[in-house]
Amino acid sequence: MSEPHLDLSEVIAVGQSAGEEIAAAGTLEELTALRERLIGRDSAIARARRGLGDLPADQRPAAGKTISAVADAVTVQLEERRTELAAHAELATLRRDATDVSLPGRRPERGSFHAINQVMDEMIDIFVSIGYAVADGPEAETEFYNFTALNMPPTHPARLETDTLYLEYGDRAEEILLRTHTSPMQARYMEEHDPPVHVVVPGRVFRRDPLDATHSPVFHQMEGLAVAEGVTFADLKGTLFYFAKEFFGPATKVKFLPDYFPFTEPSAQMLVWTNDRWLELLGCGMVNPAVFEHVGYDPDIVTGFAFGMGADRMAMVRHGVDNLRLLLEPDVRVLRQFR
Amino acid sequence: MKFTLDWLSDFVDLTGRDSQEIADALESLGHEVEQMTPIEYPFTGVVIGRVLEVGSHPNADKVRLCRVDIGDEESEIICGAWNFEAGAVVPVAVPGAVLGGDFEITRRTIRGVVSNGMICSEQELQLGEESAGIMVLDDEFPEAIDRVGQSLTVLLPEGDVIYDVAITPNRPDAMSVLGLARDLAALYDVPLRTPAIELEEHHPETTATVTILDAEACPRFAGREVRGIEVGPSPLWMRRRLAAAGVRPISNVVDASNYAMIELGHPTHAFDLDRLGDTVIVRRADAGETVVTLDGQDRDLLPGDIVVADATEPVALAGIMGGLETEVHDDTTRLLIEAAYWDPPSILLTSKRLGLRSEASARFERGMDPSFCALAADRVAQLLVQIAGGRAMAGPVDAYPAVIEPLEIPFPIAEVPRHLGIELDAAEVTSLLERLGFAVAGEDPLLVTIPTRRPDVRRSIDLVEEVGRLHGYDSIPTHVATGQGGGIPAPLRRMRRLRSVMVGAGYHEVVTFSFIGGADMDGLGLPETDARRATIAVTNPLRDEEGVMRTTLLPGLLKAAALNVSRRVLDVALFETGRVFLPGAGKLPEQPTHLGFIRTGRVGVDWEGGGREVDVRDATGLWEVIATDLGINERLRRPAATPEFHPGRAAEVLVAGTAVGVVGEIHPRVAAAFGLTGRVIAGEIETDVLTMDRAPFQLSAPSNFPPAVFDLAFELDAAVPAADVLAAIDDAGADPLETVTIFDVFTGPPLAAGRKSIAVNVTLRAHDRTLTDEEAREVRKRIADRVAAATGGAVRGEV
Repeated sequence: MSEPHLDLSEVIAVGQSAGEEIAAAGTLEELTALRERLIGRDSAIARARRGLGDLPADQRPAAGKTISAVADAVTVQLEERRTELAAHAELATLRRDATDVSLPGRRPERGSFHAINQVMDEMIDIFVSIGYAVADGPEAETEFYNFTALNMPPTHPARLETDTLYLEYGDRAEEILLRTHTSPMQARYMEEHDPPVHVVVPGRVFRRDPLDATHSPVFHQMEGLAVAEGVTFADLKGTLFYFAKEFFGPATKVKFLPDYFPFTEPSAQMLVWTNDRWLELLGCGMVNPAVFEHVGYDPDIVTGFAFGMGADRMAMVRHGVDNLRLLLEPDVRVLRQFR
Repeated sequence: MKFTLDWLSDFVDLTGRDSQEIADALESLGHEVEQMTPIEYPFTGVVIGRVLEVGSHPNADKVRLCRVDIGDEESEIICGAWNFEAGAVVPVAVPGAVLGGDFEITRRTIRGVVSNGMICSEQELQLGEESAGIMVLDDEFPEAIDRVGQSLTVLLPEGDVIYDVAITPNRPDAMSVLGLARDLAALYDVPLRTPAIELEEHHPETTATVTILDAEACPRFAGREVRGIEVGPSPLWMRRRLAAAGVRPISNVVDASNYAMIELGHPTHAFDLDRLGDTVIVRRADAGETVVTLDGQDRDLLPGDIVVADATEPVALAGIMGGLETEVHDDTTRLLIEAAYWDPPSILLTSKRLGLRSEASARFERGMDPSFCALAADRVAQLLVQIAGGRAMAGPVDAYPAVIEPLEIPFPIAEVPRHLGIELDAAEVTSLLERLGFAVAGEDPLLVTIPTRRPDVRRSIDLVEEVGRLHGYDSIPTHVATGQGGGIPAPLRRMRRLRSVMVGAGYHEVVTFSFIGGADMDGLGLPETDARRATIAVTNPLRDEEGVMRTTLLPGLLKAAALNVSRRVLDVALFETGRVFLPGAGKLPEQPTHLGFIRTGRVGVDWEGGGREVDVRDATGLWEVIATDLGINERLRRPAATPEFHPGRAAEVLVAGTAVGVVGEIHPRVAAAFGLTGRVIAGEIETDVLTMDRAPFQLSAPSNFPPAVFDLAFELDAAVPAADVLAAIDDAGADPLETVTIFDVFTGPPLAAGRKSIAVNVTLRAHDRTLTDEEAREVRKRIADRVAAATGGAVRGEV
């Protein structure tokens, strides 16, 4: 009987050539077949392992070590190549799925908030942030609240039918009109609330002005009113300056010039510096004592300020609109720009 | 109001202040400068010349050959004007001069003789309209003779500007150059140069008398008779100031009155005294009386109107417009200058009623200074003496039956800090008020006498304003007045959320007018009995199409959509929230807020071939999104029967059992009436109930046990609404139901005609266990039975 034979040279040869063979495997299928040939059940390595038992005990450790070293090295190389080929295969699959990402996406349709309402909402939020309440009032209003309670005498020109739109409503004992400003809510609010009062009133107002580049028979205002003991013109200036900085930015410059309104005394207009010029932004003033008397406040105890600002005008300033008609145009091509 | 800086400087020393500084000062005083226009002389190279000799042209009859001293040389100039002789001082455009920006003067040979320039008329220099002859400078510019050879501009105001100032309606006293000068003098704390009005009185004394029959209508009527005037053009300086003020020069008599009004504020009127007669009556008109005003119009008078009358009938509409009958003519020899104080409300009402607004009425309706009447008349007389060769006659005419006394107001110093937030002592307050012409006595309270020119100052608060205005709003500190909180009220918060849903659904918010036309109701196809026909009319609409208040948002939205389509913008989705106006029981109309939307065109259009025409389910789906978002059961609705909507493709939506609106397709006939074709969906919903504050939702944990899922298909009568099937499932007690979804609806074979199939997918899921198959089958049967009982539908296939 011959001596038990274990030819390690075949194993060593596999170890030497495996690297090249593995690198040459171009697909996962080829690699699987190669794996079977190199370390599968019928491979030289497997056969050598099986033959180890036949060796004399003193030779087994050295031979085993040699076989394991080759087997481990081949296994590592196979695994590395498998990872590589798997990555390639995945990439190829995904590449076949590629599309032109510059094509328009499927987007949910989105509309827009009207620029005037965006401005109105922002104006409201600024005053709410400093503790003002928000009130709402009727657009069809009595002549009393629109004019009389605001210290506008029966002969005031604004009451004339050339300026104010009146309604055919009721018994005409008292005329009903479309409010010409949000100021009527000053009187209504003060009748219902005791001082201190801090409130803004956003809303739609009306004048008998034909639609042109700067006028509209329908426009939008926000009225503000602050009444308490000790409210002064300094509060008026400070509060509106705060508003202007919030709305137009912290570097905003404003100035106040004397003006005239029947329901405030002293009255002022606030101007902001924009586009290299002073722009009249809003009318304001200290509430006229006559208005307090109409609502039952004691003008010797409380003082207050009021202001009214036009949302349409603010929107025009902010969005570079020089024609009011454009702002009111219900053309989708205009509306889409209201971002 | 327009005037020149040069004119303003007559009354206040503005030396060393540039025109912008003065504009800023006027604004700081409350007089808004709307425009500031520098006056530029549109010529160069025009010098003052003296005509030495006037001779004939050897070859021409119509022109003359002049030898003119133009300073360091003598020039021969041919001139076609004949209104001067040797010795006249005239403007000469020398060769190289440019007139009107582009007309260059050169040496020209005229019929064999060289003309070294041109002697100019006013019109050629664009200084005035006179073109009949050349300008002769001697009369108006006596100093010109000493300036021969110098530029003509040395005679004219230098660096002058025209201010256009908006005077607030409370300040009639500031509607004049003098009035604005007074405010500036106060600001700069320099003296006001009050004009000296002195007349040499001629005799015999005037025989005109004035009788005021209604002292409330006319507390004062002052006048001055002027004789011997020669009607002609006014001097250049006056014409130039008037032209700068936007008033066209007409004749010395008219110009003098206009000039004095702009200068001093008080309007005057000149009567032909011979035509008027010596007896002047001031009274209210009687019913049925008429007067022909200067513009030739025959005016019907009402008893409230104030008139100036002769012994028998009205001859002028007091304070508004003179009468044609007593107008000054070229042959007028006796004038009566009237300067009166007219009751402001009466003037306002009459001028507005007649649609007759004049510079005079604008001033009288605000209130002129009654103490100034006589001076105003005399100022016009003085000007007529100066420029029209008139003689002022002795004996002013002055009736003042109801003397208007200056008001005295006690003024506690503490009012200043209480309203303005600045501390001033008595001396400072006194000084500020005195600079403005108020007389001040006492310490605290001050006793302040208000000049009669200031009808706007009636209470101490008005004095606070004067102090603030003069001290300067800039000098007042700033402080933020914060409120007591409150946040955004719930209805507004929910309205914002509603609008967000609309924007998220692809709709653009619009702002349409609150008025519509009566014809819009016909467009909507509303029957006469429809409540929305009960519109509230606007008494004085701007246009017929805006004649009534809207009772519905739909016309505005339909028109907005049609505007887009007419511009070939075909896919349109718009919404609006706004009030409608309905008759109600209260003093005011009911003014509920509505949400309206409209959509037409295609949805979901893309390059992959997607896209379809909008239809009713886009409308009902939108309502479902709105309702879900606002916590309302979106399934409560029923077919709508309203004429503007498609009879079979619109739903009335309900909240808590009450119909709150309609969504669906617009009736094709209505769409066509507004210029729209194809399917148009719309909706109009009352928002009060939507934006009502609701209890916060309470969260329940979802079950993580496996669901039991099954489908059921029912065959039923085609007329049974799907909602009935869903309601029956709700009622079936199908615990523990998680979701029910309709996933298929069809008609046609294999179903019989008039039948349809509705298939639902049901998910059951218990909170505490995995459902057994038996439990699921039991629920499935319960649902099938309930649907069958409620709708007559039978389960297709196996139960």
